Amino acid sequence: MKKLNIKAFVSIGMLSAVAFVLMLLDFPLPMFPSFLKIDFSDIPALIAAIIMGPMAGVLVELFKNLLDLLTTGSVTGIPVGHIANFVTGVIFILPTYYIYKKIKSQKGLTIALIAGTLITAIMMSVLNYFVFLPMYAVFMNYEVPSEWVVSFILPFNILKGIMMSIVFLILFVKMQNWISKQQSSFNRL
Amino acid sequence: MMEKMIFGRYLPMESFVHRMDPRAKLVVITLFIGVIFLANNLLTYGILVLFTFASIFASKIPIKFLLNGLSFLFWIILFTFFLHIFFTREGDVIFTFGWIKIYEHGLQQAIFISLRFFLLVLITSLLTLTTSPIDITDGMESLLNPLKKLRFPVHELALMMSIALRFIPTLMDETDKILKAQMARGVNFSEGSLKKRAQSVVPLLIPLFISAFKRAEELAIAMEARGYRGGEGRTKYRLLKWKGMDTLAALLVILLGGLLYVFRS
Repeated sequence: MKKLNIKAFVSIGMLSAVAFVLMLLDFPLPMFPSFLKIDFSDIPALIAAIIMGPMAGVLVELFKNLLDLLTTGSVTGIPVGHIANFVTGVIFILPTYYIYKKIKSQKGLTIALIAGTLITAIMMSVLNYFVFLPMYAVFMNYEVPSEWVVSFILPFNILKGIMMSIVFLILFVKMQNWISKQQSSFNRL
Repeated sequence: MMEKMIFGRYLPMESFVHRMDPRAKLVVITLFIGVIFLANNLLTYGILVLFTFASIFASKIPIKFLLNGLSFLFWIILFTFFLHIFFTREGDVIFTFGWIKIYEHGLQQAIFISLRFFLLVLITSLLTLTTSPIDITDGMESLLNPLKKLRFPVHELALMMSIALRFIPTLMDETDKILKAQMARGVNFSEGSLKKRAQSVVPLLIPLFISAFKRAEELAIAMEARGYRGGEGRTKYRLLKWKGMDTLAALLVILLGGLLYVFRS
């Protein structure tokens, strides 16, 4: 972080609080196991990334999970779910941000979101298979069958990515002027 | 929609555990998580159970309250319990019923592993029940302070975290208001196809973002006007004090680790 930028710090804190509140409004999808839930808390992180730079987005993802951990505690003792959520969020927003940075238009954003969704879905399937499901097995002794990666986790992440993309595109079109006005008022982190 | 979500699980009370320094609690829990994996026989698990329930007793948190909200966990524990009972096939057969055979080792594994998991959850929920989130943040900041030498922005991260904590209740109220206003206009947030749900959330998000940035700007100006210039040389309103009992608690966990190490088979 370069110069002390109070406004950026405060905004990141504020967006983390928004993300946390949105995280409380989560809902499970029909047909999926209950630990896979959809919420819209990645949207504030994406907004933070686009307005204040990628680091801001990563921080919002971090604080959102930390806040949830501090206030509700972890059902598993060791916060595997929170770590997984943080990694998913970062893997979704970073590619989206960098592609959008290359092509700054609505079309660019659409491509970026589709790419972000695909990258997240693939990466999270791999990570779940090799890291998170074994972690659940070690810490919670909750053996999740590894076929679930293909039958649940992959389609879940694609569905979630599509929903995020739809919401963010509508949001972006409606708030374009506001976003570009905000962008110019921050030193980028 | 929001009323049912009480913010956090912190129970302000007067007890030994409540009075402990948040740093001490964080240290104790970290050590405990490491120590718990040492247990592997009846005696060591007995000591762990004793320690856990002594901590709960010292916190004066009603056990019923602690178990509340862990019903989801109960099913997982039950599931893993039976998984181990039926699929571990070592040791002597102690029970046969038709095709079901329960092995000694399987039963032991099932009980121990479920117990370990249960104790882990109890101890970690004790932290969030006896310590307010802002205290945990302060504790973490203080514990991470040595990282400042590596130019890791500890103070800035803690500041963002505190701001988020301060504004969560405000933003919750606001979210609630917006949700109700939209519902009064006929928006349905809890039903409908996925596409409908995605569309219905946009009118909630836009006012939330705009007001969040407005608040951020006002707060930043207020802070600048009062001469905020980062963590260096800044004094604190909430002071953390490491007392004798905190050292005692840390020593107790180390003792627990020693005992488990000696008595494990």
